[in-house]
Amino acid sequence: MLTNDSFFNKQYKTPRWLSHKLSRRSALKSAAGAMAIAGMPIMLTAKAHANTHNTLSEQLKTDPWLTLDSVINHLLPASPSGPSAAELQVTLYLFSVVNLQPTKQAEIDFIYKGVGWLNGYTQSQLKQNFIVLSDSNKEKMLRAISQSSAGDNWINNLINYLYEAMLAPPIYGGNPNGIGWKWLEHQAGFPLPKIGNRYYELPGQQQIEITQVIKQPNNRLVMERTKS
Amino acid sequence: MTFDICIIGSGAGASPVAYTLAKAGAKVLVLEKGPWLTEKDFYKDELAISLRDSYSPDLSEQQHVIEELYERENGDTFWQGEPTSESGWSFWNGNVVGGSSNFMSGYFHRLKPIDFRLKTEFGNIAGANIADWPITYDELEPYYTKVDKEVGVSGTVVGHPNQEPRSENFSYPPIAEHPIASWIDSAAKNISYHAVSVPRAVLSQPAMGRNSCEYSGYCSSYGCSSGAKGSGRAALLNHAVASGNCSIKPDAKVYKIETNEQGEITGVLYYNKQHRKKRATASIYVVACQAIETSRLLLASTGKKFPNGLANNNNQVGKNLVFSGGGTGKGDFIFNEIEQQKVNQLKQVGPFINRALQDWYRIDDKLFNGANNKGTAKGGTIDFLFYQNPIARAKGSQRDNDDQLVWGEQLKQNLKQEFTSYKTLRFEVFNDWLPTDDCFVSLDDKVKDKWGDAVAKVRIGAHSHDIKVGEYLAKKAEKLLVNMGATNVSSSISSYPATNLVAGGCRFGNNPKTSVLNKHCQAHEVYNLYVTDGSFMPTGGSVPYTYTIYANAFRVADHIKSQWEKSV
Repeated sequence: MLTNDSFFNKQYKTPRWLSHKLSRRSALKSAAGAMAIAGMPIMLTAKAHANTHNTLSEQLKTDPWLTLDSVINHLLPASPSGPSAAELQVTLYLFSVVNLQPTKQAEIDFIYKGVGWLNGYTQSQLKQNFIVLSDSNKEKMLRAISQSSAGDNWINNLINYLYEAMLAPPIYGGNPNGIGWKWLEHQAGFPLPKIGNRYYELPGQQQIEITQVIKQPNNRLVMERTKS
Repeated sequence: MTFDICIIGSGAGASPVAYTLAKAGAKVLVLEKGPWLTEKDFYKDELAISLRDSYSPDLSEQQHVIEELYERENGDTFWQGEPTSESGWSFWNGNVVGGSSNFMSGYFHRLKPIDFRLKTEFGNIAGANIADWPITYDELEPYYTKVDKEVGVSGTVVGHPNQEPRSENFSYPPIAEHPIASWIDSAAKNISYHAVSVPRAVLSQPAMGRNSCEYSGYCSSYGCSSGAKGSGRAALLNHAVASGNCSIKPDAKVYKIETNEQGEITGVLYYNKQHRKKRATASIYVVACQAIETSRLLLASTGKKFPNGLANNNNQVGKNLVFSGGGTGKGDFIFNEIEQQKVNQLKQVGPFINRALQDWYRIDDKLFNGANNKGTAKGGTIDFLFYQNPIARAKGSQRDNDDQLVWGEQLKQNLKQEFTSYKTLRFEVFNDWLPTDDCFVSLDDKVKDKWGDAVAKVRIGAHSHDIKVGEYLAKKAEKLLVNMGATNVSSSISSYPATNLVAGGCRFGNNPKTSVLNKHCQAHEVYNLYVTDGSFMPTGGSVPYTYTIYANAFRVADHIKSQWEKSV
């Protein structure tokens, strides 16, 4: 049975941050969104980036990342006609959106909340979680939730991140070796940002607070932080 | 330390003053709200420049309130403000040393003589506050030439019916052109238009310690990593600092200008990076924070002699704000409908299109139904360009004709078709945004910035005449695209302002009752205050503003220099 805590909640209104993101004005000049950070030491940032891969492989064993990865791979599957989400490292990119980029908490909450709503829906319809469904059932379930306003918003937001993973500079985690650009015959500009030059590492007004740096047994430095 | 000159802001209006005065030997302090970035901080990164707006403040910390006109069911209208943190509509244009000139396209068209005497040339238009300028084109011309040399403008003079008088040719040859420029030239000739080569504030050859353009294909709106783009930082402030006479203080947000009982400025108050309150003093003060923030700062700077804000005893500060009228249009070239050689030409990335039309800078057409029945009116400029940002281009591919989401194989096909089957040539129309009583800056009485100071409230009413002119020009541009063989030709002219093209709010003029500044851009009411950004403009003209702001700031800098030299 569906409750109010689902894609089909009639009280649902598109969140303002998402309206901004998808608006025509944003298409003309992206206005909403997060800003840069200042003074983060490059070494720590590099460690944090390396850590993203390791942490993701851990996180992929459980939800919400297990389901998010499954949905993303369904949205852009492997086929001869172009690179898949897996080849484009879309899940890794989304993981960096949530964990490295200064993304607003409301948006992160929405991404995660959709996972709960999706599994709630597949359970109500097929008594199974999304990841164990056949491809055709995955398609049916996603198609069904896309008919709701919240479901449309949630999938649309993931597709927008899929575009970023496909077409942003590879340093952000997606588009390895520029395979997205090559596929779409797009000539990138130069110079491209490297570690230490990503938009959230530029000198600016907004700080990310480093709460602590933990030294693991293998001498790896792991940064734990809170976002400003 | 007390300085000779304190400049608030560091963009196109500020940097010529810092450059001129520092080189003359005056001690100059520049206070800039944003960080001090250099070429090594600019990358061709769509996330940074466009999708995350990384060079402008977070709207939850610093914002504006934008007032738009609404209509009730009974037909009554009212103005309603909305904070930009809620609408997401940013009015910032890059807060860094060098200001928004770091991110300009650098279309450097000059104003034309008629722009200085719009009221005399075309008369009043009901509902508009048109005023002639207190100077002529001839007075500004030497300073346009100075910009050509000192900032570095690349171009060539092409004779056309509305070519303005020039004392010299350009200092630098034109930058390399995209093959489509010749298509535009041919089509223009076919239909008796005059395609104009566009002067660009981009160096075509190394000069003045800067590299030439590297033709990365990502210029407009991106910070320049070679130094070729003539930002105030790269072209002028670096030289000002090298003189040993100019100090730039980044992360310094000025919130108030202090005055004494005689009404002269005694200091400016600012927050430093640690949000501590600081004070700076000088003999002469120059405000150049871009039009909206300049008016906001003056309005916030009340004092015993200025209860309504600095230099505002005639209630003119913030009034007659102007943007740029006009809009955009486009046409598509479908690859399987044209020869392969042309497809290959279209796919080239790097060189600039560099073509504009100014045939209708002055409209004289009985069919034009404008403000008078003679068919005469001030017209404008049409520039051509490509968009390059791939993520922005991809957006929309996930919807089918019924607006349903698509994914999987269909999404792949849509993306492939979007990117590889056609190329869009776009145009932008620039025409006057007539000054009216419905477009002005005031202080919002509720919304504060992160320091607790009132933000600027901006009413953005446009005059209906602007739309008529914009649509007239857009139709002319569409005709050219059709002649070039483009399909899906369309345009969109809007009364929404281009937020990066803003001027006015502190008009210059000879009458203190109707203007804030005199012809030297010195405040009528405050002898040691100058305003040198685009705020001075009583009417905006029909070209992007930066070239004129640079030229006027060089003109005012010469005046300030002569005043300073008398005092030492």
